[in-house]
Amino acid sequence: MNLDRYRLDDYNALSDGEFRTLVSEFLNNHHPKGIINPPKRLHWDEAEPWYMILSQAGWLAPAWPREHGGMGLSAAKQLIYMDEFERFGAARTPDHGIMLLGPLLIRYGSDEQRAHFLPKILSGEHIWCQGYSEPNAGSDLASLRTEAVLDGDEWVVNGQKIWTTLAGDADWIFMLVRTDKTVKKQEGISFLLVPMDAPGVTVRAIHNLDLQDEFSEVFFDDVRVPKTNLVGEVNKGWTMAKALLGFERIFLGSPRQAAHALSRLRLLADHVGVRGEPDFEDRYTQLRLDLADHESLFEESADRLRRGETLGADVSFLKLNQTSLFQRITELMLDIAGEDGGLLEPIGDNRDLNPMGLFLTARAATIYGGASEVQRNIIAKAVLDLP
Amino acid sequence: MNDQHDMSEAVGMIRESAAGIADRNDLGRIRKLRYSVPGFDRTTWRDMCEMGWLALRLPEESGGIGLGMTACCALMEELGRALLPEPMIGAMLAVQALDEAHLPSVISGEKIVLPVWQEARSSLSVGNSVKFEDGRISGTRQYVAMAAGADAFLVAVVNGWVLVEANSPGLSLEIVQTQDGGHYGTLTFDQVPASTISTTAPSVPLAEAALATAAYLLGSIDETIERTLDYLRTRVQFGKAIGSFQALQHRMVDLKLEAALTRASVGDAARIWDNSAGSARAHAAVSRAKARASTTAMRVTREAIQLHGGIGYTDEHNIGLYLRKAMVMAPAYGDAKFHRQRFAELTKELSETAE
Repeated sequence: MNLDRYRLDDYNALSDGEFRTLVSEFLNNHHPKGIINPPKRLHWDEAEPWYMILSQAGWLAPAWPREHGGMGLSAAKQLIYMDEFERFGAARTPDHGIMLLGPLLIRYGSDEQRAHFLPKILSGEHIWCQGYSEPNAGSDLASLRTEAVLDGDEWVVNGQKIWTTLAGDADWIFMLVRTDKTVKKQEGISFLLVPMDAPGVTVRAIHNLDLQDEFSEVFFDDVRVPKTNLVGEVNKGWTMAKALLGFERIFLGSPRQAAHALSRLRLLADHVGVRGEPDFEDRYTQLRLDLADHESLFEESADRLRRGETLGADVSFLKLNQTSLFQRITELMLDIAGEDGGLLEPIGDNRDLNPMGLFLTARAATIYGGASEVQRNIIAKAVLDLP
Repeated sequence: MNDQHDMSEAVGMIRESAAGIADRNDLGRIRKLRYSVPGFDRTTWRDMCEMGWLALRLPEESGGIGLGMTACCALMEELGRALLPEPMIGAMLAVQALDEAHLPSVISGEKIVLPVWQEARSSLSVGNSVKFEDGRISGTRQYVAMAAGADAFLVAVVNGWVLVEANSPGLSLEIVQTQDGGHYGTLTFDQVPASTISTTAPSVPLAEAALATAAYLLGSIDETIERTLDYLRTRVQFGKAIGSFQALQHRMVDLKLEAALTRASVGDAARIWDNSAGSARAHAAVSRAKARASTTAMRVTREAIQLHGGIGYTDEHNIGLYLRKAMVMAPAYGDAKFHRQRFAELTKELSETAE
């Protein structure tokens, strides 16, 4: 497979229309057919072929600068890339290395760390997972207690992480650890890189409400890593991790989940034969309006990104609204599905008729990435200026 | 790019010019005019016209400013913030259908002409019971906002509009007061002499009026939220500003989110309208905006009363003025349910293929 024609020196020199066409062609020609719009988050063995195609084309890291092997896309081009991937229903790969760690290393890592880790992310040699949440540090993440203590030239890590996405597939974990217990909780946290095959690391899969196992617990029992595996300065981990949340938050606020759910609602409505019933039509129209208005709101933020502005705390509105809308859509699905809404497997074995799966998946959306209640706390203080 | 710059400059100037007349910090004038007839001020009306507001949408060759709905919505927002009772939305609708001969005295503010089109409740189409034959019209129309202040009426009939002077023999006007301090007129025409004015199709100016109403509501919504936030920051109970309580903070966040959605929706509709006025897509966008604005305005103003507690239930406090305004403007030019259905109808084809 020759992917050279997708490797350009300067993608930003293309017009928006040309770039959109290129992305769309790439997806149509090269995205593996069997995993379009996957019903669940793919494990590495399912996602690897697609990851390697992206890798060979040089398309894994749209936001990374050219010098580090990324596509170096402008904010406007990144949004087109994201938009086309969503429109196509492209499968999400295990992308924590690309989305989260890469930008952090580029901004805060040492030259040695960048030279060692970035190429391995791009080649697929290192798949990363993220170790932030702990059993007692979820919404209140800064109270995390997994500890790293310096012993000679090594950090010794003890503690437990939870809700680690695809930990079983990962070769490495980037994690927030406590390195000072005597200061304000946000000021005693550092950012550490740990290989998953280090002695003392144990992974236990968690079966979620949807009976999938994308999340895990990860235990650290006297795990030793070199001192040089710490990124940036000691005790600056919180500030670094927070500085990179902006793009993740607009990603979580994108209309993609809700738009996908709405298209499935329409298929289900046809299947159960409620189209044309006034009660259904009014609720369905309301959801369509909600989605269209959400898209308008999302575009406002996207426009600001395109103009090179940074997004403030009001980007939390997008996550709050999108996830709640996603849930309302799946609730209407269950309402019209009758007994079929209680089935364990998709209706008639048709994976597009799986309101139960979507309904259960949607429960997580208002919890992860900052629960809706936490988003509201943030907005109340930072946007509404309430005491 | 340059167009966009010009537009944002124009919008900025409109907002600035509006501040003088539509002063949100002084609702004294609005209070005094409530429940009087005609319920608004002709001096203020002339001031508004002098600013060119009524002619905002008219092309320059007709003495207008030639701006689009984006600019119009910015103006309406400012009027809504300050709860102006002057019938600008109706009068703007009328000038869209007036002929050149009648325009000068109307856009100068000397003569007030209001549109008469509605028969059914919550509607956006011209009623069909009024007949125009041999230069005379007969029939009944209702929900003419601020009708008692009009010098003439522009009446929609089959295939166009006719002008009727307010003091014409055979025309009777009954008024009912509305919650916001204004009124609706019911007009009965009994063989009233009328002159043909234009054949302008009513659907475009009516949709523009619906969008203008959504923008007016948007201004009221934002102002209600700001006033309520001020109250929450300053009102102390249990030894703390009540705005520090999480239960109230979360409610305010949800209201602000609804307001942000309304702003995005109205802004989008205005842009789409300015790019393709009268297209099905543009009409659908207007319905989307009006449905959102009507629902949000009622929710925000209702919750604002609750968040103000006892003082919010008094007529002395200004927050109630915003609720009363929403009660009148949310159903005007089609309520939320009407516009949801209209959106569904207009996008039937699209939704079958696009989603």
